[in-house]
Amino acid sequence: MMTKVGEVLLLLLLPAFVPHTDGTHYSLPGKPTDIKCRSPEKETFTCWWKPGSDGGLPTTYALYYRKEGSDVVHECPDYHTAGKNSCFFNKNDTLIWVSYNITVVATNALGKTYSDPLDVDVVYIVKPHPPEKLEVTVMKDQGWPFLRVSWEPPRKADTRSGWITLIYELRVKLEDEESEWENHAAGQQKMFNIFSLRSGGTYLIQVRCKPDHGFWSEWSSTSYVKVPEYLHRGKSVWILVLVFSAFILLLLTWLIQMNSHSLKHCMLPPVPGPKIKGFDKQLLKSGKSDEVFSALVVSDFPPTTSNYEDLLVEYLEVYMPEQQELMVDKGKDHDGCLKSIGSASDSDSGRGSCDSDNLLMDKSGAPKEEQQQQNQEGDQIGKETQGPKEAWEKEAMPCANEDVVSPDASSEKVKTWPSVFSPVTPYSPLDPHNSLEMHKQHCLSNTQFPPGSPSSDHYIKEALQSSYWEVCFNNNQPYPQTEVHPQLQAHSDRNISAVNDRNAPTGLLLPTQMTEYVEVQRVNEENKVLLHPIPSGHSREKACPWVGQRDDYSKVKGVDSDNGLLLQREVVEEESMEMAGAAESCYTSSIAFTTPKQTACSPVALPVQDERVLAVSGYVDTATVFSLHT
Amino acid sequence: MHEKRNVLRGVWGLLLWPYILTVSMPLDCKEEPGSLTRCPSISQEKLLDRVIHHAELIYRVSEESCSLFEEMFIPLPLRLQSNQAGFACITKTLPIPSSKSEIEQISDKWLLHSVLMLVQSWIEPLVYLQTTLDRYDHAPEMLVNKTKWVSEKLVSLEQGVVALIKKMLDEGTFTTTYNEQGLFQYDTLPDMLESVMRDYTLLSCFKKDAHKMETFLKLLKCRQADKFNCA
Repeated sequence: MMTKVGEVLLLLLLPAFVPHTDGTHYSLPGKPTDIKCRSPEKETFTCWWKPGSDGGLPTTYALYYRKEGSDVVHECPDYHTAGKNSCFFNKNDTLIWVSYNITVVATNALGKTYSDPLDVDVVYIVKPHPPEKLEVTVMKDQGWPFLRVSWEPPRKADTRSGWITLIYELRVKLEDEESEWENHAAGQQKMFNIFSLRSGGTYLIQVRCKPDHGFWSEWSSTSYVKVPEYLHRGKSVWILVLVFSAFILLLLTWLIQMNSHSLKHCMLPPVPGPKIKGFDKQLLKSGKSDEVFSALVVSDFPPTTSNYEDLLVEYLEVYMPEQQELMVDKGKDHDGCLKSIGSASDSDSGRGSCDSDNLLMDKSGAPKEEQQQQNQEGDQIGKETQGPKEAWEKEAMPCANEDVVSPDASSEKVKTWPSVFSPVTPYSPLDPHNSLEMHKQHCLSNTQFPPGSPSSDHYIKEALQSSYWEVCFNNNQPYPQTEVHPQLQAHSDRNISAVNDRNAPTGLLLPTQMTEYVEVQRVNEENKVLLHPIPSGHSREKACPWVGQRDDYSKVKGVDSDNGLLLQREVVEEESMEMAGAAESCYTSSIAFTTPKQTACSPVALPVQDERVLAVSGYVDTATVFSLHT
Repeated sequence: MHEKRNVLRGVWGLLLWPYILTVSMPLDCKEEPGSLTRCPSISQEKLLDRVIHHAELIYRVSEESCSLFEEMFIPLPLRLQSNQAGFACITKTLPIPSSKSEIEQISDKWLLHSVLMLVQSWIEPLVYLQTTLDRYDHAPEMLVNKTKWVSEKLVSLEQGVVALIKKMLDEGTFTTTYNEQGLFQYDTLPDMLESVMRDYTLLSCFKKDAHKMETFLKLLKCRQADKFNCA
């Protein structure tokens, strides 16, 4: 009976013993893991562990430790101070430089589970608390702000006695999303300065510490600080710099403007104006041509002396400004030619052509001059004085209309001349002393005026010839103060293709090195200078027999490589017809322009046809002046 | 009268000044803690600073050496249990306090003497350690160099501490008696692993003791100044 009751009771009570859970599996507790011990001040320490699964049953944990060299096992004195799953060792229980062998045991109804042991020495596990009382103040250093950060060591760390030595580190960040933390090591000091702040910015500051051998603490709580604006200081300097530089710029501009005129002069030298002796611009401007022209009249022009010998030019020397003048002074006064009225600065103006007494203009030219004067005196002068261009133009006209002896000038070749000269503007800034040159150019270019002229070479030639006139006739007159010589010089660079058979345009100018000269035989009615070559030096006597030769050198065959005009020698007989029957006396004496002399030779076209290389000899130093293609 | 006396003193001083100089100042006065001669030129503070610096360096190098040795020769499971082999630190027997409260209570004199004890105890074992490292197959050169360096520096440290004792405690030089105790035994163990473990223990213990020395000296320093320059 009793046993039966007992069994029933057991059966009834059995469910009570049976676990209520549905299908849970009870097991031993899981092993505690990750035991971590830390000491904040090297005097106490705490150990934490991570519990494993509890196995379904209430589990208790216990920590046991064993000191180094001792087999006595102690249990954790304090499980609560440091929180759950922790063990706190207070000062009395803590030994420094002693290894603790720590084990955590998990216990539940079914059994115990031991964790892995851990050896701990307190000195190596020090991790202090973060520094305290972090203060940040904005201070000013001569107007520039900076941050002064100060803090205190954690309360518990005994730095005072030197038991623990802490080193600090702080970090700063702008309150931007993009900015990064900037770390600064502060050593053992408890204060730090931060410079180079952004004006108006807000900064976040944190600080942490570490014992000399140990772990870093956590970062302290953040301190916020706002930097006041100090923008003005920095920018005012820039504003000042800008204003100053603007002022300098204005000053420079003003200065340049003031001196623009002289600068222009410097950079773009002005084109020289005409320099005619006795030429008065003002008078011209006033419009009273008569007065102007009369001013040009020089007393001793036209030459009235009967000594035309002087006027006869045996040879003409071309004055080169750079070269030495070969002045064959025959006792003539060339002042008229030489002087440039109005401007003493022209050192070479007009001198060359008239300077030497070897002008190709012989005395035949003088009558021509006279003729001219008689015929066109006013006109000519007028032309001269009207302005170089106009004068030359007018000269060109007569040039054009005359029939020159040289008939066979190929128009093609001739055309080269104008083509050569046409691009040359009358007032192109050539050698300022080459006004004569310019005139020549005028003449040449203006040869295009007469349209469809049959023989354009006429024009050129005549133009050239006439140009020389201008030079030589006005020995006492103000004449364009130009040297024919330089003119020609200037043209040498031009590619004048085959200037054919014409007399070397000027034949007036000869370089000093020339040994052969062409003599102006005469000047014909049409104001042509008739040239004939002089076989040798300055023999005047030889000149005469030349007369009958009738060599026509008026045609330029071509230009050789040395820039010499090759004159074509022709024997023209007609020309003699054309000659106005003037006396064919040859005056080979040089003409002195200053002394008006009559040239015995009537203006006769001087057809000189000879294949002479004018390079070295020749009329003019055209060889050197003009580079003519053969 | 007084003037005459002063003048006389001055004259004597002038005459004898080279002699005075040579007597008062030792010729070869190195301002090092390792210097045995007393250099009046160096201050106590400076000397203590230098001694502390030495101790710090020694500790740092010993820590590096220990880590190196551990990496090279100690298998992972044994690393955290330096005591497992059962080797105790040789200086265990020394009467050195090991808790802060204890340490705070002992006097300066005892602090210094403790340091000296430690230093002197370790000179010989370190020499031994250098020789044992040669037996290892792949002892890294850095480890050997560090051990050598530490051994040398320890000797200097000893000299410095002695000088410090002289300065601070005004005690004369005295020979250490600690080494005579023969703390260290040179037994060559048959088992390789045991030998390795012993060496490892040696290094660990030395590291610990170096830290002790450093701490003691720092404590000593902070006790000196009235201004609490350690605060």
